[in-house]
Amino acid sequence: MLSRGAAKKVTIYVNEDTRHHMDALWSAVLRFLRHKHVAGATVLRPVAGFGAHEVIHSLGEEVRAEHMPMRIEFIESAEKVDELLPTLYEMVEDGVIEVQDTHVVKAVTKGRNPAPHSPRAEVKGPAKMIRIFLGEADRLNGEPLFEAIVKRLMMMEVAGATVYRGILGYGAKRHTHKEARFRISKDAPIMISVVDAATRLDEILDAIAPMMQDGLIVISDVDVHRFVHSLPAQESTHASAPTG
Amino acid sequence: MLPRQPAKLLRLHFSEQDGYDGIPLHDAIAKACMDLGIAGMTVFRGMEGYGESAELRRRRILAHDQPVVVTVVESAGNIERLLLQIEKMLDTGMIAISDVEAIRVQNGEIQK
Repeated sequence: MLSRGAAKKVTIYVNEDTRHHMDALWSAVLRFLRHKHVAGATVLRPVAGFGAHEVIHSLGEEVRAEHMPMRIEFIESAEKVDELLPTLYEMVEDGVIEVQDTHVVKAVTKGRNPAPHSPRAEVKGPAKMIRIFLGEADRLNGEPLFEAIVKRLMMMEVAGATVYRGILGYGAKRHTHKEARFRISKDAPIMISVVDAATRLDEILDAIAPMMQDGLIVISDVDVHRFVHSLPAQESTHASAPTG
Repeated sequence: MLPRQPAKLLRLHFSEQDGYDGIPLHDAIAKACMDLGIAGMTVFRGMEGYGESAELRRRRILAHDQPVVVTVVESAGNIERLLLQIEKMLDTGMIAISDVEAIRVQNGEIQK
């Protein structure tokens, strides 16, 4: 299973009609990757290309549509790639194998969540609560700041965040935000409350503070009792080591 | 690590129907905060709640009688000054104070 963070991207260039035993090489490579439980692989067929033989192969002209290049791509952890490479090296007798360092930002699989009736886990322990005060009209790169902050927190896999809208308030900008009757205010005070392990506090603050123009961030100690059905491996380590 | 200052978080819980001097209590408290030079405050309205009277407070079709929470983050000294004022204004309700650390951001700069 692919996880977030540093990984390797492997690209293999072969000829469409190169054989490997009784099969097309690209197909044999793909089946080998699946057999080894690689997180995912894609075979791409380019429009045109040339290789070591310096002949341009193109889809447009029938005569030259033979020997088309094929590209197989997959992303995996460094250890997994290390394990696969010797076999790939042996298989690809005519072609190029390239490995790049990459960074996985998101790797999720839909519909693989445990059933809602599975036993829930309770995560207990000291944690930090962060309250972020800002205005509803505050914007960052054209989008509402509170939405930008929540999105950022989601991307960082912060345990949870809630946005509250106030009915009255004033703060750094020294103007009052007041809710009018029968009209929805467009600049209400907003508070986002975030709870996560103390170990993640600095990382969260460093990400959020530069996004703000005017506002207030308040940190306090809390004890949490979280009930969850699924605990990603990464998160369980956070919860098991919440330093106070 | 970003610079943080020790501060106090004050929360006042009362009803939206509560008044002081002919105006809603949360408006009166907002005015008192401004008069005292408190850096900022926010009023939140709850969906439903109950308190001292043990009557459930919730939204009716016309009348608003929902719980209200006033939140103020300030230095211990300023919270102390504000409390002296608020104690006179609040009839029934609850005052909670907790220790926090604050980061103030003004014009994109973190205040030291």
